[in-house]
Amino acid sequence: MKQTSEILFQDKRLGFFLYLVVEALMFATLFATYILFTPASVGADPSEVYELRTVVLTSVFLLSSSGTLMIAEKGLKTWDRKKIWIGLGTTFLLGSIFMGLEIHEFYKYVHEGYTITMNNFLSSFYVLVGLHASHVAFGLGWMILLMGQFKQKLPRSLFIEKHKIFNYYWHFVDVIWVLIILIVYVPYLF
Amino acid sequence: MNVPFIGEVPSDIVVSWIFVSLIGVLLLWWLTKKEQWPTIWEYARTTDNRKIGTMYILFAFLFFIRGGMDAMFIRSQLAVPESEFWVFQSQKYNEVFTTHGTVMIFFVAMPLLIGLMNIAVPLQLGANDLAFPYLNAISFWLFVSGAVIFNMAFFFNAAPNAGWTAYAPLSSDTFTTGPNNNYYIFGLQISGMGTILTAINMIVTIIRLRAPGMKLTRMPLFPWATLVTSFLIIIAFPVLTVALLLLTFDRLYGTSFFLGELGSPIYYQHLFWIFGHPEVYILILPAFGIFSDIISTFSRKRIYGYRSMVIAIALIGLLGFMVWAHHMFTVGLGALANSVFAITTMLIAVPTGIKVFNWLFTMRKGVVRIKTPMLFSLGFIPTFVLGGVTGVMLAVAAADYQYHDSYFVVAHFHYTMIGGTILGAFAGIYYYYPKMTGKVLDETLGRWHFWLFIIGFHLTFMPQHFAGLNGMPRRVYTYSWDDGLFLLNFVSTIGAFVMGASMLFVVWNLYKTHRYGEKVGKDPWDGRTLEWSVDSPAPEHPFDPVPQVNSRDAFWYAKISEESLPAAENPRPSPIPVQTIQPVVLAGILGVMSIGFIYQWVWMQVIGGVGVLSFFILRSLTDERKKAYRKEEES
Repeated sequence: MKQTSEILFQDKRLGFFLYLVVEALMFATLFATYILFTPASVGADPSEVYELRTVVLTSVFLLSSSGTLMIAEKGLKTWDRKKIWIGLGTTFLLGSIFMGLEIHEFYKYVHEGYTITMNNFLSSFYVLVGLHASHVAFGLGWMILLMGQFKQKLPRSLFIEKHKIFNYYWHFVDVIWVLIILIVYVPYLF
Repeated sequence: MNVPFIGEVPSDIVVSWIFVSLIGVLLLWWLTKKEQWPTIWEYARTTDNRKIGTMYILFAFLFFIRGGMDAMFIRSQLAVPESEFWVFQSQKYNEVFTTHGTVMIFFVAMPLLIGLMNIAVPLQLGANDLAFPYLNAISFWLFVSGAVIFNMAFFFNAAPNAGWTAYAPLSSDTFTTGPNNNYYIFGLQISGMGTILTAINMIVTIIRLRAPGMKLTRMPLFPWATLVTSFLIIIAFPVLTVALLLLTFDRLYGTSFFLGELGSPIYYQHLFWIFGHPEVYILILPAFGIFSDIISTFSRKRIYGYRSMVIAIALIGLLGFMVWAHHMFTVGLGALANSVFAITTMLIAVPTGIKVFNWLFTMRKGVVRIKTPMLFSLGFIPTFVLGGVTGVMLAVAAADYQYHDSYFVVAHFHYTMIGGTILGAFAGIYYYYPKMTGKVLDETLGRWHFWLFIIGFHLTFMPQHFAGLNGMPRRVYTYSWDDGLFLLNFVSTIGAFVMGASMLFVVWNLYKTHRYGEKVGKDPWDGRTLEWSVDSPAPEHPFDPVPQVNSRDAFWYAKISEESLPAAENPRPSPIPVQTIQPVVLAGILGVMSIGFIYQWVWMQVIGGVGVLSFFILRSLTDERKKAYRKEEES
């Protein structure tokens, strides 16, 4: 017979996947908004705003963080505490660098005069990419909490549960970033 | 009215403050005298589905009174042509119909149905609670928080005033300044979050927590309706969330998504109705489920055409996403779009018709007992059919140019929302009252309630069809003697007060039952499904042992063969309940944060935001699973 923790984890996983569906639909609506309003008839055009260098850099850091998280996932399977630490730690580091670059990007745009009120292209850009960035920030906080709980020695099955739920979240946020590259940046960079 | 230290305040607000303060003091005094505080403390900390469901219904009833009073004000103002009733003209009238609509849909109809789902669905499945009891409490308190935020607006003379749809650009800060529509946005965002979480909880419960042997195809129809409804919620509500988010940016941060030369008001309408049309099916499908179970029980027959009933629910849910633009026929989307949406709209009549015939066939040759829940179901069928027929009329895009924004539409949706959802909720409350409290509501008073309500209802809304066809527009606070609408409106107003009076019988009935009613056993209605196999009121952890289900209506067939349901051999573990005040705290913090945004007090937004984030940490550190998992690890 299956263990209690296993069955309750499966409940939670299904619930969390449904929650991610909700999130995906919110992002889908914001993507639609962006497509609808971009490019705008007045104000800045996306091609003059975006810079290839920033997009490549942010993407490298965020997408590779999904890879490093897999080290932790492997560690969970064999309960290799070192792997979990390394996986979580590097993921956190890469995520933080992404966050820094993202803040820098927004800061630079605003300094160049591309503010959220300039036109609807920029409005929808900031709302969409900003929502994604806040997801990354939330994920960073989540990782700190997770590392704290790892140190605290929760029951092993509970820690694995919490870690796995976080993994789904982080990969989801990465998938959204891929869509942002494809829908938001790429059409206006090349 | 001039109030010292505050200034000019409309007199209805002054009266409300005095009235509510008095009631509040009386309530506090009564609670203390009766020593009810421990009970309140218990309910505030509970995660039990029955208790949460009961609270949903209780709060919905409170807001029903508020929304009902708004309706009385509307009808009083419209009773005679060129009238000046109290303060309800022009902007005040806009506020009163906006709050009436919003309160009735989001804070009455939704919580009534979700409350009934909470009480009945786990019991009908043979589950010991919802999948996530803690999350369920969070959902409930988010609903309360959102509703309190929304209802606060009126008391601070800032009631939302752009209609329940809050169409932009009217709802943008260019045309409706002040905090009014901020209250609308944040009230709906917070309670909407609660609704989404409830939907997730319901889906996981239905998919994973059914008793052994309870296949999906053996479920009663209420859980089926709940399942489809929950999927509609998780698809429709995120769109509303984003629409309101963009509106927030327009109102607070100077963007122009929905207004000005750059923005697109039509885009708001699309977003709103992509949410809004599924929303009306979210409101009606659970009622269909409740009626199906009640009609089957009181006809002593299996539901006729079970499979077609399930398919019909699913089809209605699916088609519900393909019809949103029928709210926008007069916008000018073009002949092709209008034709497509007209046809999909008419198609919905087919599965709905199937359901109506199945209900009739269920009763045919059945042993029909007309108790109050059944009476409401019988009242529902013709009423809802009328609403459906006018719906098909409205679906004719070309004709809709005539009906659009007239009282014909008002009559139509009240026939579906009251005739369907509210009658369904009443039927469900009378039916499940024993499972909530252990007592059956008084039959005679129930009948008074039904007859007054249904007569009042038809008196109110039947004439509105004709007022609409004669050209009376909705959302307008007066009309002239020359319009020839006096008699229709006057009858309508009388009907509204009859409906209002019928609700007094509910209050009387609650009092009488509470005071003199006797406890009933597990199965007062001679029911067919699992909820009638457990005690009334349903205890926490009701199924011990968990029953093995071998057919549809298994409980009924066990009763016939005079056996008890066999116990399942290896039931899955139950969800872990917990006593905690955390959900109330979260609701409070979110309330504070919302007020910060509504009045744009940044310091308050920061405090609220930090509070919410700290709450996540607190929640994670006090996880109730810790104990259970540790025990498992040690064994």
